[in-house]
Amino acid sequence: MSTTTGTPASTPARTPAGPPGSADAVFSVDGLWKVFGPKAERVPADPELAALDPAELRSRTGCTAAVRDVSFDVRKGEVFVVMGLSGSGKSTLVRCLTRLIEPTAGAIVIDGEDVRAMDKNRLRELRRHRAAMVFQHFGLLPHRSVLDNVAYGLEIQGVGKAERREKAAEVVAKVGLEGMEQRRPGQLSGGQQQRVGLARALAVDPEVLLFDEPFSALDPLIRRDMQEEVIRLHHDEGRTMVFITHDLNEALRLGDRIALMRDGRVVQLGTPEEIVGSPADDYVREFVRDVPREQVMTVRTAMRAASAAEAARGPALAPDATVSEAIEVVARSGDPARVMDQGRCVGVVDSAALLGVVAGADTPAAGAPDGPRGEAA
Amino acid sequence: MATVTATVGHSGVSALLKNLRGHRAVGKLLLLAVVAAVIVPVLDSHWASGSWPGALTVDLSAPLGRASEWIIDNRDSHPLFLYFFGYVSSAVVLSVRAVYVVLLAAGWAGVTAVAALVAWRTAGVRLALGTAAAFLACGLLGMWVPTMQTLALMVVAVLASVLLGALLGLAAGLSDRTYRALRPVLDTMQVLPAFAYLLPVVLVFGIGVPAAVLATVVYAAPPMARLTALGLRDADAGVMEAVTSLGATARQRLLTARLPLARKELLLGLNQTIMMALSMAVIASVIGAGGLGDRVYQALASVDVGAALAAGIPIVLLAVVLDRVTGAAGERLGSDSGATAARWVYAAVSALAVALAGHLTGRLDWPASWTLSIAEPVNRVVDWMTNHLYSGVPYIGGTADWAGHFTTWVLDPVRDGLQWLPWWSVLLIVAALAWLIGTWRTALTAVLAMAAIGVLGVWKPSLDTLSQVLAAVAVTLVLGFATGIAAARSERVERLLRPVLDVFQTMPQFVYLIPVVALFGVGRAPAVAAAVVYALPAVVRITTQGLRAVDPAALESARSLGATGAQQLRQVQLPLARQSLLLAVNQGVVLVLAVVIIGGLVGGGALGYDVVFGLAQGDLATGLVAGAAIVCLGLMLDRVTQPTARTTKKGA
Repeated sequence: MSTTTGTPASTPARTPAGPPGSADAVFSVDGLWKVFGPKAERVPADPELAALDPAELRSRTGCTAAVRDVSFDVRKGEVFVVMGLSGSGKSTLVRCLTRLIEPTAGAIVIDGEDVRAMDKNRLRELRRHRAAMVFQHFGLLPHRSVLDNVAYGLEIQGVGKAERREKAAEVVAKVGLEGMEQRRPGQLSGGQQQRVGLARALAVDPEVLLFDEPFSALDPLIRRDMQEEVIRLHHDEGRTMVFITHDLNEALRLGDRIALMRDGRVVQLGTPEEIVGSPADDYVREFVRDVPREQVMTVRTAMRAASAAEAARGPALAPDATVSEAIEVVARSGDPARVMDQGRCVGVVDSAALLGVVAGADTPAAGAPDGPRGEAA
Repeated sequence: MATVTATVGHSGVSALLKNLRGHRAVGKLLLLAVVAAVIVPVLDSHWASGSWPGALTVDLSAPLGRASEWIIDNRDSHPLFLYFFGYVSSAVVLSVRAVYVVLLAAGWAGVTAVAALVAWRTAGVRLALGTAAAFLACGLLGMWVPTMQTLALMVVAVLASVLLGALLGLAAGLSDRTYRALRPVLDTMQVLPAFAYLLPVVLVFGIGVPAAVLATVVYAAPPMARLTALGLRDADAGVMEAVTSLGATARQRLLTARLPLARKELLLGLNQTIMMALSMAVIASVIGAGGLGDRVYQALASVDVGAALAAGIPIVLLAVVLDRVTGAAGERLGSDSGATAARWVYAAVSALAVALAGHLTGRLDWPASWTLSIAEPVNRVVDWMTNHLYSGVPYIGGTADWAGHFTTWVLDPVRDGLQWLPWWSVLLIVAALAWLIGTWRTALTAVLAMAAIGVLGVWKPSLDTLSQVLAAVAVTLVLGFATGIAAARSERVERLLRPVLDVFQTMPQFVYLIPVVALFGVGRAPAVAAAVVYALPAVVRITTQGLRAVDPAALESARSLGATGAQQLRQVQLPLARQSLLLAVNQGVVLVLAVVIIGGLVGGGALGYDVVFGLAQGDLATGLVAGAAIVCLGLMLDRVTQPTARTTKKGA
C-alpha cells in the first residue's frame, strides 16, 4: 500500500469522506475556505487565485488563505482530530464550524442543517446546545467561582440558579474538581483551569465537543492526565469530539481519524494507522518518521494469508491488536500468531512481517479501508 | 591639536545626531531649514521680526465682551437659559444643597462613622481607622463645616462625572468610530490646566456653585471615560471568544463578561475621577465654590499662611483618604467572596445607629470647644521664618534671597530671551522639537497652537508663562532624573521614597501654593517652586519604573561583559528606558504648566493672573482670551514632548 488512492477514508482534500450530510455525519464540511484580507471572496471564486501558493497569493492580492478548500465529515461518536503545525489553519477551521470566524466559502452542515444559512438566533441555539468549545487559554471568567464558571453556559441559556448550580456541581465532580467549587480561576493550576473549561463545555450537554489545542499550554505530565481524562469521557459518554492539536502523539493517542493540515489544506485524512503506515506525501512521511510504528500499526495491516497448517494452531490475536503486542506474543511462543476475527482465522503474523513494520518497510497486505482505530497507547 | 579637536567635535556632533534618531532627524532638520530659508525672508519683509506682529492678531476682546454681556442680559429671559441651563443650574444647586443637608443631619459623628465603615468594608481595618482619624482632624482644626461643603460639592460632581464618563466610555468602548473620535479629545483634555476650564462655565452660568460643579465635572470626567473605554476594549479576547462560543447575546456578553472584566479599570477610573474632582473642587473656589478651597483662597489672598494651612490640611487628609480607600478597593477585587452582603448590612446598621445617637444627644455640629486653632502658632512660625530665614542667613543666604536670585538670574533672562526671539524663530523651534520627538502631525498641531497664541494677542504674557514653565521643567527634570536613577539603583532609597511620593502624588495642586508662600513669599519664583514640587513625584516615579522595567537579560549580559555600574546605566538602562524618560518629560511639562498657571494666584503673573483678574473684575473677555492661550500653550507643550513616533501608527 504505497499510495492512498484506493482508500476513501484517506483521500486528501477535495473528495469528502462521504457524501455531505450522510446519515452518520454530525458535522459535514465541504469545500470550506477562509481567506483573510481585502475582498477575500474573490479568492475561492477564482480558480486561478485559488491555485496560488500562500506567498504568491499574498503578494498578488494581499490576502492570506487560512483554510483552503477543506472537506471532511465528522461521524457520530468519533474523535476527529485536526492536526498541523502552527499557522496551518487548524484553529481557524474549528472556529469556522460554529462561525466564531465567518467562513469565506464552502458548506458546513450539522445534522443536515446548513450552518452558514443560519440566522443569528439559530446560530446562538447551535452554540448554546449543540457544539461547545474548549479553548487553549481556557477563557474563564476571572471574577466568578469555579462553580459559576461551569454554570455560565446554562446561565446564558436562562436556566434557573438552583438548577444550573446543581448541574454544574455534577459536572465539576465528573472532571475531578470536587471541593474547589468556590475557588476563583486565578487560584487554580493550569490543568485545573482546563478542567473547569472542559466542565463548562460539558455542562451544556452539547452534541459535539470542540477542542482547540486544549492541552498545549500545559506541561507534559498534566497534558497526559488530561488526555486520559478525555479518553475516559469519550469512553463513558461516546460524545462526538473535534480535537485540534499540533502534537502528533496527542493526535495518535486520541484520534479515531486524523486530518493532517498544511498551509490551510488537508494533506491526508485517515486513521492513525493509515497516516503512519501509508503517508500521502513526503511532508506527511517526514512528519510521522519518528513515530514508534509498532505502537500504531495493527496486526490487520501486518498479517499475511495463512496456510492451512498455520490457521490451525498458534497463539491468537485480535485484528486490532498493535504490532508491539504481537511482537511480545510471537517472541514468547516462537511461532507465527493467528489473527482471529470472530473465531475465524483471517491471517497470520510472523516475525518477518512484524520486523518489516518496525523497520518501516511497506507492509505486505493492504489494510482494510476503514480499519478500526489503532490503540496508540 | 586643531585636527584632534576637530575630530572630537565632529564625533561629538555625529554622536548627538545619532542620538536624535540617526539620519531621519538630520533629514527632518534639513527639510525644516530649507522651508524656513524660503518662508522667513517673506515673513520678515511683510511683518517685522521681534514680537508677534500686530497685523497678525485678531482682537477678540470686543466680540467676547459683547457675547458675555449678551449672556448676562439674556440669562433670565432667553429660552436656552430658561429651559436648559436654568434647569441644569437649579438641579446642581438643589442636589448640592440636598447632600449638604444630609451631611449636616448625619452630624459629625454620623459622617465619621459612615466614612470609617465604608472604608472598613472596602479597604480594611487600618484604613478605616485612618479615615476616622482624618475626619476627626478636620473637625479638630475647626474646618468641619467647610469640609462638609467641599464634600457635598464633591459627591454631586463625582456622581455626575462618573455617570458622564462611564456613558462616554461605554460608547467609546463598544464602537470603534466613537473611540477614534473621542480619544484625541480626551487626550487633549487631560493635558490642559484646570484654570482653562473655569472661564467658559463662568461665561454661561456666572460665578457660583453650578459653575464650580460643572467645571469640576468637565475636568474630572475624562479619566473615567478613558479608563472605561480602555477596560472595555482590553477585555481578554480569549474570554470574550469563549463567551461567544457558548451562545451569549450581545447584552449578555457586555453584562456578564466585558464589564466585569473591566472592573479594575473602572475602579481606577473612579479613583482618578475622585482625585481630579477634589483637585478641581478646591481650585473652583475662584469661581464660587465654597468650602475648604475658598478658605485657602481667601487666606492666600491676604498671605495668611496659618489660616491657609488650617484649611489645607483637611484637603490633604481628604485626598489621602479618598485615594487610599478607592485604591484599596481596586486591589482587593476578587480576593474575598461570600458573606459580603451581610457585612455591608451590619456596617450600614451601625453607621445609622451612630448617626441617630448623635441626633438624639443633640450633638450634630462639631463642638466649638474641641477645636484647635493652628493659625496663630503657624503664623508666628512663619513670622519667625520671615525674620530669620528670608535673608541674611550667613553663607547660604535666605529663602527670599534664593527666590530673588532665581528670578534675576534664571527667570528674567529666559523670559527676556524668549520675548527677544523673532516670533517666527519661536515657531521654528517648536516645529523642530515637535518633529524630532514626534511626527509631522504633532509638529503641525504644536506650531498651529503656538501661532494661535500670537493671533489671540497674548504673545508676551504667554512667553512669560512659557519661561516659568521651562525653568521649572529644567529644575524638575534634573532633580527628578537624579532621584529616579538613585531610586532605581537602590532598593533602600526606593523604600524611603515610596510613601513620600504616594502622599505627594495625591495632593491637589492648590495645596502646594501654601508652603511656597510661607517660604518664598509671593512672586514668580514661588510659583515655579510649587510647580517643581508638584511635578517632581510623577517624574521620579516614571523614571524609576522605566529604569526598573529594562529587560533584565540585557542588563545581565552587560554585567557579564564586565560593564561598570555607570556603564550599565549609560549604555543599557538609559537608552532602553528612552520611552519612559520621554514620558517623564511629557508628564513633567504638563504638570508644571498646570501649577505655573495657578501660580497666578500667588504673584506668578502672566496668563494665570489674566484669568484671575478677568474673574475678579468681571472682565470675562480678558479671562477667556487668557484661557484660550492656556489651552494652546498646553497643547503645544504636550505635542512638543509627545513621543508618538511609530508606536501609535495603528491608532492614527
